[in-house]
Amino acid sequence: MKKLRVLLVDDEIMIREGFKRLFDWEAHGCEVVGEAADGMEALAQIDALKPDIVIMDINIPIMNGLKVIQVSRMKHPQIAYVIVSGYDDFSYCQQALRLQITDYILKPVDYEEFGICIDHLKIALYEQRVAAEETVNAGSGRQEENPAREERVITAITRYLQEHLAEDVSLSVLAEEFHLNPQYISQLFKNEIGVGFLAYLTNIRMEKAKKLLLSTSISIGEISEQSGYGDYRVFTKVFKKSEGITPSQFRRGFLEEPGTIERKI
Amino acid sequence: MLRMEIALFLVLAFIAVFYYSAGRRHTPLHRTFSQLLAVLLVHLVFDAATVYTVNHLDTVPLLLNHILHRIFIGTLVLAVFLFYQYIAILVEEETGRPRRFDMAARILLGVSELGIMVLPIHFAITEQGNYSDGIQVGVCYLSIAIYLVFCVILLAGSWRVLDRKKKIAISAALAIHLSVSLLQAFHPTWLISGMGLTLMTLAFYLTLENPEILRGELVEQKMSMLYLKSQVNPHFLYNTLDTIRIQAQLNDDKPVADLLMRLVDFFRLSVKVDRQMVALDDELELLEAYMELMCYRYPQLTCTYDIDPDLGGVLVPNFILQPIVENSLLHGLKNKGYRGEVRISAFRTKSAAQGDCLEVRVMDTGSGFTEGKKEQVEELLKHYDKKAPKLEGNSIGLLNVQKRIKLLCGRGYGLWYTENPSGGLTAHMLLPIGEENMAIGNRENEGDDVR
Repeated sequence: MKKLRVLLVDDEIMIREGFKRLFDWEAHGCEVVGEAADGMEALAQIDALKPDIVIMDINIPIMNGLKVIQVSRMKHPQIAYVIVSGYDDFSYCQQALRLQITDYILKPVDYEEFGICIDHLKIALYEQRVAAEETVNAGSGRQEENPAREERVITAITRYLQEHLAEDVSLSVLAEEFHLNPQYISQLFKNEIGVGFLAYLTNIRMEKAKKLLLSTSISIGEISEQSGYGDYRVFTKVFKKSEGITPSQFRRGFLEEPGTIERKI
Repeated sequence: MLRMEIALFLVLAFIAVFYYSAGRRHTPLHRTFSQLLAVLLVHLVFDAATVYTVNHLDTVPLLLNHILHRIFIGTLVLAVFLFYQYIAILVEEETGRPRRFDMAARILLGVSELGIMVLPIHFAITEQGNYSDGIQVGVCYLSIAIYLVFCVILLAGSWRVLDRKKKIAISAALAIHLSVSLLQAFHPTWLISGMGLTLMTLAFYLTLENPEILRGELVEQKMSMLYLKSQVNPHFLYNTLDTIRIQAQLNDDKPVADLLMRLVDFFRLSVKVDRQMVALDDELELLEAYMELMCYRYPQLTCTYDIDPDLGGVLVPNFILQPIVENSLLHGLKNKGYRGEVRISAFRTKSAAQGDCLEVRVMDTGSGFTEGKKEQVEELLKHYDKKAPKLEGNSIGLLNVQKRIKLLCGRGYGLWYTENPSGGLTAHMLLPIGEENMAIGNRENEGDDVR
């Protein structure tokens, strides 16, 4: 898989340095190709470098980060954004989540959490690719002939995982199900999606949990089980690590308008 | 008619006793209101006296009648002037614009008082009763009308900027006074001028000058000052700390970076001081950051949590957990050389009085109460509303938590301590579970049956 090109946007040099040097871009299949310190510079760099991912601070001079995303999105719809935001801009993030492939991370940035965030983006990019292929296939009269056989295997595996994520799935379970070598499957994930098997599984489990948190009112203990976690304590921990907030904060954040949190009982 | 004046006097005297006994800041507004109360009390005495004398013209000497009458009308105009003054100061405080008619109002006061003192008095004698009319009373009516016009202009001119509550209070008072004055003008024998003034005062007293409301605001102010004192520009502080953290990590000093990360977390979370109620999860996050820092400083200290995950969204008063835990550390575990455990739990419980509740417990394995301390703490928490918040000593934290729970959640909730059989103390906090969370909770119980 080809390396993803990353543009860093933050007005503080130390924050950019931290991103550049403290995060293992290589291990996550990325490389930093440029930096920008304000909104105008960011727009120019996006045009010049055409990155795959932009790491974007919201509170930057001249033009704020959300505005930059809005403007550049029209020209470059394929770019994915990671919004880096202070806690106080949190309501912005929810607004940003409505944009397409966009993730957010709260300051202070924990680089381990940031890795989860990058994995998340890659999975989203992969899913977008699969969806695009399916529409192409559907358009061309359901041709079963697919250029790469591995591509088909990985879609079958990910589909299987989506359906069985509440169960105790592992590489060996998959190996048995698909009559393949576990190492081969592991490598397949790295090559096709760019993330490890476990990172992928955790990601889709979290997506499921988020969906349940928002669309149902079943208890968090129940959601934890339906997302494949027997112990809700483990679930809460993983969720916090992946989303930056606890499950009930997540549920509340979406149920309530930003302004009403202060409301008295 | 005399009975009405006596009743009004009693009502005003009652208000005055309450008003003067409540200690308050000496702002121009309050000074004006105090003056107004005093003038009105005097006015009502003379009002009552003239109601009697004007109807007994043949028995009361004419000179005495005139003197009483001049003071009655004089204090009436003075009272209306003070009303104008009060409204003008109120509007000035709200809009920040200087008072426009002050000079005119003062000159008018001087001129009309002079007129009232020297112009001839004429008594009209009718079958329904006697009253005064003629040029002297005319001056009085005219000046009252001008003051009312001033007030209306002030109110209309600053209608958009005025606080809703103040707007309503001023308009109501003006409407009352206007209608009473008109009635008095068309039915001179009714003698109801005192009623208008009393009702107007009552309107202001009940809305803007209520000592209970003022006291509540003062307490609130003091608490926010406490917060502000302890946090000088927290945004600057935590942004800078974050920069230092990144530098530390760039220097390959991971432990320092981790500690700074927790400190930044702690500051970031404690910045949300402007909110009165926060989610339990937010409180726990702050506490975790605090405890991790403390546990790093004292490696033999441990902290465990047992939190019902569905209660994470319940709203609780801001900043109530950390002071309790800090208290456990400084007055329990410190005496044991910071060797021991703090155990924090939150669960759903049933209280006889409040029904479904949230209980948060902070248990420590510290030294427990010393001799006599138990009674002292119990006394403090029981009579939380009797004492003004003292700023010295360790009790301020506990008292503050207790006060805020009672104030924001209701008197049925609160904080208390028990002694553990194995040593140490447990702090219990009974808190309400919000309605919307209740709904989720009920459905969760159904979910339990399925499981």
